[in-house]
Amino acid sequence: MAAELMTVEVATATAAGMKAIGAGIAVGLTGIASGIGEMAIGSAAVGAVAENKDMFGLALVFTVLPETIVIFGLVVALLIMFQ
Amino acid sequence: MVQTSSGPGPYIYVSTRLRVRKAKLLASEEYQRMLNMSLPEIIRLIGETEYQKEVDELGTSFEGIDLIEEALSWNLAKEYQKVIELAPGALKEFTMAYLRRWDIYNVLTILRGKMQGMKEGKIKEVLIPAGSLDRTTLDRILKEESCERVADSLKSWKMYPIIAAEITEGCSVGSFSKLENELYKRLYADLLQVGKEGLKGGDQFLKFVQLEIDVKNIKTLFRMRGDGSEEDAKKFFIPGATFSPEELQHMNQMASRDEVIDTLSSKIKGKSIQVALEELRTEKSEQEVDAELTRTQLERMEQLSKINPFSIHPILVFLEKKKHEVFNLLAIARGKESRLSSETIEKYLVI
Repeated sequence: MAAELMTVEVATATAAGMKAIGAGIAVGLTGIASGIGEMAIGSAAVGAVAENKDMFGLALVFTVLPETIVIFGLVVALLIMFQ
Repeated sequence: MVQTSSGPGPYIYVSTRLRVRKAKLLASEEYQRMLNMSLPEIIRLIGETEYQKEVDELGTSFEGIDLIEEALSWNLAKEYQKVIELAPGALKEFTMAYLRRWDIYNVLTILRGKMQGMKEGKIKEVLIPAGSLDRTTLDRILKEESCERVADSLKSWKMYPIIAAEITEGCSVGSFSKLENELYKRLYADLLQVGKEGLKGGDQFLKFVQLEIDVKNIKTLFRMRGDGSEEDAKKFFIPGATFSPEELQHMNQMASRDEVIDTLSSKIKGKSIQVALEELRTEKSEQEVDAELTRTQLERMEQLSKINPFSIHPILVFLEKKKHEVFNLLAIARGKESRLSSETIEKYLVI
């Protein structure tokens, strides 16, 4: 009986832990992916702005576009954590 | 400064900067407008573009055609030096190797100027110190009185052995065409060597060098055929690309123009060059053939820069287009100064 009770507790704790790990992976990996995307766009944006200051606004918008990937990751993480 | 950056970032940065610079170059409509203007109007227009700083700085010391020549060569040299500063890692090596051709241009200009007894200041106006021989070195060489002494002052230059071997004959005959051929052959051999050294992006640089050699050889071939020259043409061709000098010599001896174009088209890569070769089937003047092939080379380079967007190609396209912009402006200014018609000047433009 005691052994069975322990097993349920462990299972609950493991499920919560797995959820936290899943949420972490969702945010972490999408963060890395955004970084990779922004590295290329950011380099190009800085290059373009260095030559033509008028491009600043447009360059900034393009640079932050990959941030949407992190937002998707964050939404998935929140769904996992609070569902 | 030690460069610690790695990854594609610096390549993307410099490629984008040069793409933006390329976009700022004069459009073909601007040349058309200039063709209908007088020289003072052209100077005013040039003074409102990217050349404004140079025109303003030199405006007090020079005027007319001298001002344009000096301002354009200053701007070109400045732009080239800026590109060398910007280029990261291996791209800097390739850019510097590409710019070494300006050393040959400068040395030959000085030698020819000295032979024709031109004034030091006049020769200086047309020099473009963009290669390994900087402004100070060129000023020192310019001060030398005779052709032989000019050659002696170049002892530290990489290509001095070729100068030493050919200068006596060149100075005595008063023509440096043989020296020019030998220097360019050595330049292209060096460029091929740089491309094969195993540096990152070397393959792409090699593609450009081979394209340039091919175009140069085809231009020479059509010029030789145009002149009807029966002499041994092998020595005028540059080895290392699609065609060997022997093959080109064989084509030079072919009777029919169509046969030559068929042989060239069957071996050469790149659709744009094949299309340009087809255009050359009809008899055209030497100038038209040259302009057509130069345009095709630029087109092909553009294609390569789109296939390899973060390589040496965007840099080379900018360098080449900038050079042609300066040459176009010089052609317009000199043409206007000599009172040539707009139609005649237009033939010399690469638009």
